[in-house]
Amino acid sequence: MIEKHLSSQFDSDLNDVCSRLMEMGGLVETQIQRTISALAEFSVDEFNNVVDTETRIDQMEVEIDRMLTAVVARRQPAARDLRLLLAISKITTNLERAGDEACKIGMRVKSLVESGKTRQMPIGDLRVASNLAASLIQRSLNAFARLDVPAAISIYKEDDLIDREFKGFTRKLITYMMENPHIISSCLDLLFIAKAIERIGDHAKNITEFIIYIVHGTDVRHSKLEGIEAIVVH
Amino acid sequence: MPSVFYRFTMLFLFMAVGAVSVVLVKPSEGILGLGIAAGAFIWLIWDNWCSLQFILWVHRIEDEPDAPPPWLDNIRQETAEYIQRTLRRQSHRTKEFENQLYDFQSVLQASPNSVIILNAQDCIEWCNRTASIHFGLDAKRDLAQRITHLLRSPALIKKLAERDFAEPFVVESPLATDTHPMRLEVLFLPHGQGRLFMLSRDITAIEQAEAMRRNFVAEVSHEIRTPLTVLAGFIETLQTLSPSEEERGSILMRMAHQAERMKNLVNDLLTLSRLENNAQLRLDEWIPVASMLERLGIDARSLSTHLNGQAAPKHEIIFEGADTPDEIAGIKTELQSAFSNLVNNAIRYTPPGGKIIVTWQMNAEGGARFSVRDNGIGIAPEHIPRLMERFYRVDLNRSNASSGTGLGLAIVRHVLQRHDAKLEIDSTLSHGACFSVTFPAERVR
Repeated sequence: MIEKHLSSQFDSDLNDVCSRLMEMGGLVETQIQRTISALAEFSVDEFNNVVDTETRIDQMEVEIDRMLTAVVARRQPAARDLRLLLAISKITTNLERAGDEACKIGMRVKSLVESGKTRQMPIGDLRVASNLAASLIQRSLNAFARLDVPAAISIYKEDDLIDREFKGFTRKLITYMMENPHIISSCLDLLFIAKAIERIGDHAKNITEFIIYIVHGTDVRHSKLEGIEAIVVH
Repeated sequence: MPSVFYRFTMLFLFMAVGAVSVVLVKPSEGILGLGIAAGAFIWLIWDNWCSLQFILWVHRIEDEPDAPPPWLDNIRQETAEYIQRTLRRQSHRTKEFENQLYDFQSVLQASPNSVIILNAQDCIEWCNRTASIHFGLDAKRDLAQRITHLLRSPALIKKLAERDFAEPFVVESPLATDTHPMRLEVLFLPHGQGRLFMLSRDITAIEQAEAMRRNFVAEVSHEIRTPLTVLAGFIETLQTLSPSEEERGSILMRMAHQAERMKNLVNDLLTLSRLENNAQLRLDEWIPVASMLERLGIDARSLSTHLNGQAAPKHEIIFEGADTPDEIAGIKTELQSAFSNLVNNAIRYTPPGGKIIVTWQMNAEGGARFSVRDNGIGIAPEHIPRLMERFYRVDLNRSNASSGTGLGLAIVRHVLQRHDAKLEIDSTLSHGACFSVTFPAERVR
């Protein structure tokens, strides 16, 4: 993904930072997969693993930032290299947050299982949304590795699906809570899980914005989809 | 070697011709030297012209290897021929290498395992088509991409970072979904200066089969242990307490019942394993259907009496349909056991007084249809696809009450497969079920 520079040491520095970022991405992906299957099966077997990985992700965030500082200080990059480094810094933050959200899901699942009311919960809808969120994170990291702008835009569009699922699910939870006040606390857990899934989707979307930033040099945060497509075409 | 002298000879020749012609035209003092110089000069021009032609030809030969060398002096002619020969030989060799490489690549392409070649920086140099099925790699776009940028499984990254390639390991494919799980066994083979050969194999089916085998053993053991526990309990009762004659009789009857259940289970297991082991089935034995149905009726009524006791209202068992077709090609014991399994299930899952209709008739395609319809408890739609699995029970609490082995429908499925027949299940919960078997036309007459 990196074009050759005069200094091959610079190339290898950039490559190392990217590899670190991808490694962190891999951890976040596993984290999300784990919590999703914990949610689908209502099991808490993996909970300790989730907590361990969370600490590892936090460490990696700090480590990547340190590497970035070193590269910027030593090489004084410009243009695309600078954009790449800035984007990596932002993507790291987003990944770390996505990891946090996954960890939150894990904790809520634990409290749901402990409440013992898992049977009456409408969890089928969450499964669709959570799988979608996991695939968005995975595909956004692939798009980053390939600097693939068309893929980035398709991810950008799909995030709306998760948002829609989230709204529908909230309405459904309200009817459940009205019917049976005994399960309100469990329903609140589910609501937080749904929110976390929705946030993971948003983080995937943010990552795609930085891909466009690296390639086209335009900051597309907070702009409309049509605007983004117009930038990409020109 | 002679061509080197040839050049000198030419130079001297020109010089001599120049000198002679000058002397002949205007003989005077000192003109000889001038003539020699003029000859040498003309030779120089001619020689340079030859060099120019030669260089132009050398440039041309890259595009058209068969271009003949222009008319040149001897030494250049020889060089040109040498160059052309070498180039021809080399392009021939390159072609051979290319063909070999192409052969190798097509062998690797055809491999059911994914093959990825990595350079010393773990960047992808080449991958085959299976790699895109296993990992979603794109053989064109992802070249020179570091493998860990696209395959981010922590296990794989760790192995690569530690250069620990001794053991193969298992990773989840990035393309795996809930409905299509894909587990891959990955092996790295280091070769020459840090380069890697990465292989992966799809082991999803193997793992599933292994899990099924484990489940099956666990289930069989469980099914056998249940009656054994009961038997052991009764034996202990008989040993420690001294029951009255009447109690003893009742205990022995229940023990016999459990022993019978175990015998049925073992028999069914043996039948299943026999069915699985010989898949071949000849067509030459024709079995009369009428006698089979008669036997079915007798067995069904006795089972109904056995389950409900003499006093309770019995099931109403009705045989319907035509006499034709009157023979099926196949194995009598197997078909009898498949049909009676279907009828017995109908009786077991229909409350006393219920109605069971057994039909045998010809269908529109010339085949035959055997169906068992009851108005019993029925089956919920989510259970229907799994009914044929061994030991699959819709309602765990019923397993003892109805005393089936849990293998009945598995046997039915195998028998019907061997007879090219199809089983259809149609049911609504609490409205009864209909199991119908369709035989193809060439199996009935």
